[in-house]
Amino acid sequence: MIRMKDVSKVYDAGVLALDRVNLEIRKGEFVFVVGPSGAGKSTLIKLLYRQEVPTEGQVVVAGNDLGTMRRREIPYFRRKIGVVFQDFKLLYDRTVAENIAFALIVTGAAGRDVIRRVMQMISVVGLKGRQNAYPNQLSGGEQQRVAIARALIRNPEILLADEPTGNLDPKTSLEIFRLIERANIYGTTVVVATHARHIVDSMRKRVIEIKSGSVVRDDRRGAYDR
Amino acid sequence: MRTSLAGYLLGETGKSIWRNKLSSLLSCGTTALALFLLGVAFIINLNLGFMFQVVQKQMEIQVYLDKELSEDAYAEIYEAVKAMPGVAEVKYVSKADALEELKEMFRDKASVLEGLGEDNPLPASVRVNMVEAAMIPETVAAIEQIPGVDDVEYQAEAASRLASLGRVSQAVSLGGMAVVGLVAIMVISNSIRLTVDAKRHEIAIMKLVGATDELIVGPFILTGIVLGVLGGVFGASLAIGLYSWVVSTIQELLPFVPILNLTVETAVDMLIVMLSTGVVVGVLGSTISLRRYLRV
Repeated sequence: MIRMKDVSKVYDAGVLALDRVNLEIRKGEFVFVVGPSGAGKSTLIKLLYRQEVPTEGQVVVAGNDLGTMRRREIPYFRRKIGVVFQDFKLLYDRTVAENIAFALIVTGAAGRDVIRRVMQMISVVGLKGRQNAYPNQLSGGEQQRVAIARALIRNPEILLADEPTGNLDPKTSLEIFRLIERANIYGTTVVVATHARHIVDSMRKRVIEIKSGSVVRDDRRGAYDR
Repeated sequence: MRTSLAGYLLGETGKSIWRNKLSSLLSCGTTALALFLLGVAFIINLNLGFMFQVVQKQMEIQVYLDKELSEDAYAEIYEAVKAMPGVAEVKYVSKADALEELKEMFRDKASVLEGLGEDNPLPASVRVNMVEAAMIPETVAAIEQIPGVDDVEYQAEAASRLASLGRVSQAVSLGGMAVVGLVAIMVISNSIRLTVDAKRHEIAIMKLVGATDELIVGPFILTGIVLGVLGGVFGASLAIGLYSWVVSTIQELLPFVPILNLTVETAVDMLIVMLSTGVVVGVLGSTISLRRYLRV
């Protein structure tokens, strides 16, 4: 599902963010990416949804070679990927339902089906009854649920999350990870960059550790620390 | 909740205009002003053409013919002149016609002509009107070569002055149109840039969830078109209204000044020109401000 071959990323300022990274993630896997701040976790995630392109090496995601992908193909590729961020990236002038429906409407899905799917997704993420609330009427955890619902509404092949619980308390974080795990159980490949030590330790999934742009550890059922 | 794409496009367009009321109003107003000026230039152009025609009509070439020739020879000369390029109208005036005209002119002072008796001293002539004032000098030179032509008279200076005045004013008003159009494009572009800036976050999310560039850009282009067309409607109404007032005032105060009455047909033409310009201005303005945002 995801393959990185000798991938390096150097930003314009000359910063080496990733240094010859090789990794392979199979369909249906749940992977934690851990490491200190600035290690290159976010860059790795950005390469996977083609927000960034590698300076060297090859990134293949869901059958697409992202380095040679044409510009107009990017939107169609991104429809196969759901992305969740630490800061939720919601539209604050739209309701919960509108935020979730947004992902469907702007990709051309239309009609009565949209409302049915949105309502269904709202109940999946546990926000039943809150569909007409605006994001700033919600708690952080609830906002992240909206973001997850938006990421999952198109049934993506891959769910990427960059510090999804960075702004949330431990209990809420756990609930968010339960939700992400549930998507994984239904077949979505999941890659999460995180600092949530207790969660990584309790879930015992594959852990990839990055330090200074290099993969230093890849455990099949790992913990946050070696 | 709107769930259709068309609903989304229209809704976003309406929202972006409504949310940025002030900047929309400003760009709409400036576009209106720009297109009003365009309309003025348009009317000036129309009137120049019209005045040109009127003055040209008054600017006849008088060709006096040799008194000794026969009517047949006169007819030949008439035909030769008529066949020249650029000649709009030719009128033959016989000796008798010329006398009649003279008598008509001095109707109140018949005594002036009494001395003439039966003898008619006036020459026959051919009067020529040209399609374009600029062609007069050439044509005059050619007519002078025709045997049997005694003398050719025309207002040489007036003709060349009118021709150059026409060229200059047409160039000035066309240049004005271009400048004014550019200003309108810049203003719309700026207004859309404000909207784009305000919606950066939303654009980023659209890209994230896989919206195509066309869809992202659609509402902005549509906003530009709506602003352009609204500006066009206001500008055209203003220009047409003002012009009607000017026409009626001039016709009342200075009835001898040739001025074109704006017919419904011309007004519709003008509206079409201005609205299409509004659309072009809107599309160009929005495209300019969007170009760099698409490189995300």
